[in-house]
Amino acid sequence: MSVFGRIYDLTWRRVRHLGGVALLGRAVARRLVTPPWDGREIVRQMEAMAVRSTNLASVIALFTGMVLSLQTAYTLAAFGAKLYIGEVVGLSLVRELGPVLTALMVGGRVGSGITAELGSMTVSEQVEAMQSLGSDPIRKLVVPRIWALLVGLPLLVVLADIAGIFGGLLISTWELGLTPGFYLSHVLRLMQFGDFLSGLGKSVFFAFAIGLIASYNGLSARGGADGVGKATTDTVVAVAITVLVLDFFLTKLFLAL
Amino acid sequence: MTPPTAPVLEVRELRKSFGAHTVLDGVSLAVAPCETVVVLGGSGEGKSVFLKHLNGLLRPDGGSVRVLDRELSELAEDDVVALRRRVSYIFQHGALFDSLTVGENVAFPLREHARLGDDDVAGRVAALLDRVGLGGTEGLAPAELSGGMRKRVALARGLALDPEVILYDEPTAGLDPVTGVAISSLIGEVTRTTGATSLVVTHDIAVAAKLADRVAFLSGGRFVFTGTMAEAAQAEGRLGEFVRAGGFHARE
Repeated sequence: MSVFGRIYDLTWRRVRHLGGVALLGRAVARRLVTPPWDGREIVRQMEAMAVRSTNLASVIALFTGMVLSLQTAYTLAAFGAKLYIGEVVGLSLVRELGPVLTALMVGGRVGSGITAELGSMTVSEQVEAMQSLGSDPIRKLVVPRIWALLVGLPLLVVLADIAGIFGGLLISTWELGLTPGFYLSHVLRLMQFGDFLSGLGKSVFFAFAIGLIASYNGLSARGGADGVGKATTDTVVAVAITVLVLDFFLTKLFLAL
Repeated sequence: MTPPTAPVLEVRELRKSFGAHTVLDGVSLAVAPCETVVVLGGSGEGKSVFLKHLNGLLRPDGGSVRVLDRELSELAEDDVVALRRRVSYIFQHGALFDSLTVGENVAFPLREHARLGDDDVAGRVAALLDRVGLGGTEGLAPAELSGGMRKRVALARGLALDPEVILYDEPTAGLDPVTGVAISSLIGEVTRTTGATSLVVTHDIAVAAKLADRVAFLSGGRFVFTGTMAEAAQAEGRLGEFVRAGGFHARE
């Protein structure tokens, strides 16, 4: 195939992929807001996705908060402004690092899991079996996972925010000699409820994107174990890129509001 | 209501391609009520692709597919879903849900559509598993089953809603000859007792000999023959070779 042929082929595949994700997004959005919902399955997915991600989210946020405090203190010290570390750490975590890092880490873990599970079901004809039994695979398989992410990811972000701020507190008291009360009062001094909400708002968009990409890649997996493996890798890459790109536009949007 | 003489399944000039590869190139077939037609053909001839059009799992590029007097291409998605409750599809490898037990697999269509209480569902599941010779296996996981057992469970699940049409995709593929004979005997018994119209896709001549009222031979994207097994065995060319190579001879 010529170079132009390959470029055309690659572009066409990307366009088809995006079109497929968009069509699935429309189908999912309609089913997210119309009953019936399988409450038991949503809870089961929340347990598998959110509850089992709490260690990951909190450890990453804790150490991010600690590193952020160390680096910020080093930078602020040059301006004699080390006392303002609470403001910088708090706002950075709540507005940006909490939702983004949680979405990246949990998205990689949960997204790859969704793709692997749905991909295995697809290549072993279980999804077609579900259709042939008169069930709707989107409602049965995709909607509970996305509901679980829509509820679970913001809760994990709250947990990550708390863990990150606590990490900053540890460094501020052990390394910088600040009292916990002083640090926390500075964390809360500039922070407004809107900052917290903007972080949570981002996580809702991230959750929908992660669930959608992972589900689409799983449901479109072909060719056995090899196809499932490739789809899973694609999900991890696509989730990482999507979260970061989406974060930029959401930041612009929320700053303009 | 389908008139008694009208075909239950009627396919006309069905065409299906995947990219540049044409799989079905004008396939036509009609299956009468209570009839069992076996679709024969070599690997990769599109037998399963053909079968998947009959309950709307695949959409045709052209042609007509009528099932139980309904033209599939004219049905809305909800109507296709409703029709699928009357048309059971038994997958090649069973396609049991890995995350559910055997009992939950068989109960799946009942819980989705039958509005029965838990006790009634459990009773129906036990009866269905008994019928396929797997009574008492409700608590097993699909991973614990042999290939033959998986196909039996898939059949039990497929019978749960008392279908009028049963589509079998390679029911004996991957089984040893003894288990294969047991499965085809079970299909024969199910066909006799339910009166369901059956379409069986296979390349197993023994299955065709045991079950077929008629066979249809798929080659080059078309049915090049429809008739009895005896007629197929006497045919010239690829079909005759195919049937005789499978050990069937006209005197049988």
